[in-house]
Amino acid sequence: MPRDTGLPPGTLMMLVLRVLKTQPLHGYAIAQRIHLLSGEELRVEEGSLYPALQKLLIKGWVKAAWRASESGRQVREYRITPGGRRQLDAEVAEYRRMASAIDVLLDEA
Amino acid sequence: MAIIGEWIRRLGYLLRRGAREDDLRQEMEAHRAEMGEPPAFGNTLRLREEARDAWGWRWLDDLVQDTRFAWRTLLHSPGFALTAIVTLALGIGVNIGMFSLINGLLLRPLYAGADAVVEVDSDSTTPFGGGRDFSYPNYRDLQEGTTDIFESMAAYSTGFVGLDAGDRPRRALASAATANYFEVFGAPPAHGRPFTMEEERPGAAIRVVIISYPLWEQLGAGPDTLGRLVRINGEQFAVVGVARQGFAGTSIPGPEVWLPLGAYETFTMKSGAGRALGAREAHELDVVGRLRPGISDETAEVALATIGRRLEQAFPAVNAGYSLDMSRPSMRLMFMPGAGRGSFAGLAVLLMLMPVIVLLVACLNLANLLLARGHVRRQELAVRSSLGGGRSRLIRQLLTEGLLLALAGGAVGLLLSTWAARTLLASLRPLLPVAVSLPDVSLDWRVLLGMMAFSLIATLVFSAGPALALTGRVAATDLKRDFSSGGDDGRRRGGLRIGNVLVIGQIALSLLLLASGGLFMMSAIKATMADPGFRLDGGLIVEVDPALAGYDEARGRQAHLALVDRLPTVPGVEAVTIGSGFPFTGFEDSREVARAGAADAQSTSVDAVFTVIGRDYARVLGLPMVGGRDFSAAELTPGAGARVAIIDDVLAEKLWPGEDPLGRLIQFLDAEGPEARQPILVIGVMPAVNHSLGNPRPYPHVYVPLGHHYESAMTLQLRVAGHVDEGPMLGTIARVVRDVDGRLPVLGVATWRGHLDAGLNLLIYRAGASVFSAFGGIALLLAVLGVYGVKSYVVSRRTREFGIRIAIGAHPRALLWQVLREGGRITAIGIAIGLVLALGAGQVLQGILYGVSSIEPVVLAAAPLILLAASLLASYIPALRATRVDPTVALRAN
Repeated sequence: MPRDTGLPPGTLMMLVLRVLKTQPLHGYAIAQRIHLLSGEELRVEEGSLYPALQKLLIKGWVKAAWRASESGRQVREYRITPGGRRQLDAEVAEYRRMASAIDVLLDEA
Repeated sequence: MAIIGEWIRRLGYLLRRGAREDDLRQEMEAHRAEMGEPPAFGNTLRLREEARDAWGWRWLDDLVQDTRFAWRTLLHSPGFALTAIVTLALGIGVNIGMFSLINGLLLRPLYAGADAVVEVDSDSTTPFGGGRDFSYPNYRDLQEGTTDIFESMAAYSTGFVGLDAGDRPRRALASAATANYFEVFGAPPAHGRPFTMEEERPGAAIRVVIISYPLWEQLGAGPDTLGRLVRINGEQFAVVGVARQGFAGTSIPGPEVWLPLGAYETFTMKSGAGRALGAREAHELDVVGRLRPGISDETAEVALATIGRRLEQAFPAVNAGYSLDMSRPSMRLMFMPGAGRGSFAGLAVLLMLMPVIVLLVACLNLANLLLARGHVRRQELAVRSSLGGGRSRLIRQLLTEGLLLALAGGAVGLLLSTWAARTLLASLRPLLPVAVSLPDVSLDWRVLLGMMAFSLIATLVFSAGPALALTGRVAATDLKRDFSSGGDDGRRRGGLRIGNVLVIGQIALSLLLLASGGLFMMSAIKATMADPGFRLDGGLIVEVDPALAGYDEARGRQAHLALVDRLPTVPGVEAVTIGSGFPFTGFEDSREVARAGAADAQSTSVDAVFTVIGRDYARVLGLPMVGGRDFSAAELTPGAGARVAIIDDVLAEKLWPGEDPLGRLIQFLDAEGPEARQPILVIGVMPAVNHSLGNPRPYPHVYVPLGHHYESAMTLQLRVAGHVDEGPMLGTIARVVRDVDGRLPVLGVATWRGHLDAGLNLLIYRAGASVFSAFGGIALLLAVLGVYGVKSYVVSRRTREFGIRIAIGAHPRALLWQVLREGGRITAIGIAIGLVLALGAGQVLQGILYGVSSIEPVVLAAAPLILLAASLLASYIPALRATRVDPTVALRAN
């Protein structure tokens, strides 16, 4: 059972791709980055993050590799692939279209 | 494309899943370490599983897990597992056995690329012939005219020869074939070479032979077999090749030897006489061809029609009405005239139905067993359900367990069936009139696939129902209930009612099979006792065929007469005669008989069994002549007497109803050569004999004297003196025959009764009786086990109730009766339904069986009685156990 993240379904994968677009990150850093960038508004549960990362791996939108972090710890770093970038662009565009449509509706009504 | 990439990644994950799961574990540990607050991360194992499920391999894990669990569960109850496996092995085994026979006979392609091989046929122009065959010149013209349609084309002729491969001459199936015969079938010889064009040329008489694979094995399968000499129809032939294993030409059973077409004269024993093979009018050959790739049937048929017309125009005298067509070679089962592959399919379905019913009984039985076991396992299921096992997961688990059992049963059944099919075929072999290579019934992918299918179907039938029933009502209350002993609740009663229905079904189906087996058995017994129209006791039969040793007509006649002269001098022999046929042997010659000179001869002709006989035939068979006289010495000598015949009263009644046939003239409409259409004087009338079991009414017979027709294969009939027992005389007779002519092929010496018992006519009834009875027996065994299982279960469930009743003074006999009565009630319902089914089966079998009416009272009475007795016995043991319940133990148990 995926945890309830408070996010619309599918949005989490888009957010992960978005934070990975700037730089490769490991799992904990991804969760942190989403938390910080959202103005501490969004908290990603670990129970949702890892299944989402597995799905991104299956889709081939991210790649994972072990690397030593600055602290010397071994971390598994995720890196966005060209396919992942295309997917992100498509999803962002789709999201914007939906959001503005909803905005218009809410304003008009 | 994206989907493919995704699946490649999923597969990659599966292959390296150990490493990938380590990755996940380590990165989650790292995550937790950075967070510094363990509790927030929750159940890591569960989280890991959820992340892993994204890859979509959960079902595989579940399957492995279910299989392991099922394996352990079955190991814990070996008694149950063994019962289930044996039940399934019987049920699946009989199915595979029957299926592998049908596979060997019907499904396996006869040769590689069989789709491209076609038979070329020509329409018949005579009213009594079948399709007209081809003469060699016609075949050559056909071959040359269709090279753009056919890759290769061959001609052959199949028949019996005398084969002496080192022991003594015997009858064997043989083909004379053109050089490219093996090429057409895509089956070049396994050893040695095919025939050459020089060997094919008509009249070449080059004596070489290609032997079948089984014959090669019989000769020792050595490399020195090539070049070895075998004797065929008395001539020496050198072995130049060995046919490929399993190759049988176009028939089952296939030929044992192939001769080159140039040796046709030896093959047919028609040396010099009649038409030479090279003659355009000698239509003696069958033609097969292999279509070129890409040529459609329509194109080929058009081309054949064209060349047929051309042949007709070029040789109008011999090719009148020549119209050519083609068909796929049907596998013609020898000895079953007219039974092509297609018409046999119906029989195959009927044959397959019986084992399927047995399997159904086995499945009902197992379903019951599983249901009873399920009630015991209810607590386990309740525990698993409360720990989060979903219903579908539990059902899957139960089905996996069933499949494991079914596959184990199927594997054991496979061993059983291979053995059974071989035994069945081996038991058929001595009954066949010639030694033949029988179809291969060994394992192949079809049989294996069949086994899988039977196991899978069985699993669905026997375990789906119980799995649904058991998981459907698992409730939390089941956790608290103590299922290990006693306790009465309505739900379990419901389960038991299902159990009773299953037992009723088993009993009904077993009765169906038992009664069918009984009908076959009755018919076999009746057929054995069938009245051939003459007294069977005190008679002996000797079968000889001089042609098999290469004797021509003159020497053959001499050999026949020498025996007719010598045998009566053997002490104990009263009278001897000779004839070309004997009732119930399955082989008979026939003629279309008409009143000579009658204007309506064609439309009023009668098909009659044609027998060439010597003097005293009627007397030896104990058939007093109805009128007229026996043949005279002159009539028995070739070329001496007038053309005369004796007919039986059946034929007389058909040709001249109510009139005296003596002194009238008949003619044979379909005879060839000197016999053709000549008037024949009727000089005697014999009483009817039954010639075949298939025709309950006597068939018309016509008898001609030895002098008018030569038949090499003859039987000598001996009548022994009244006080002599004929059985012990067999050895003496065989010795005397050898003394008369040591080279003479003797095909058999038997008493009349023994001869009939071994005949093909009885074979089918015997086989049917034993097969149906075996199936009925297995079904009975399973049904009785089912009754026993259910009753035992009931008694063990009600131990406490019985204990209380005994404690308050119930008489043990009352308990015994109660359990027996309940068992009897189920049995009675099952028998009632089964009787209806059996009556239906009787209606169907009535058409096949000899002398049995569908409502055969003996069978219908005996089968239910056997079932009732067996079922009561099966309930008696548990009932007895009920009366021995110790009240103190029973009451303390809860």
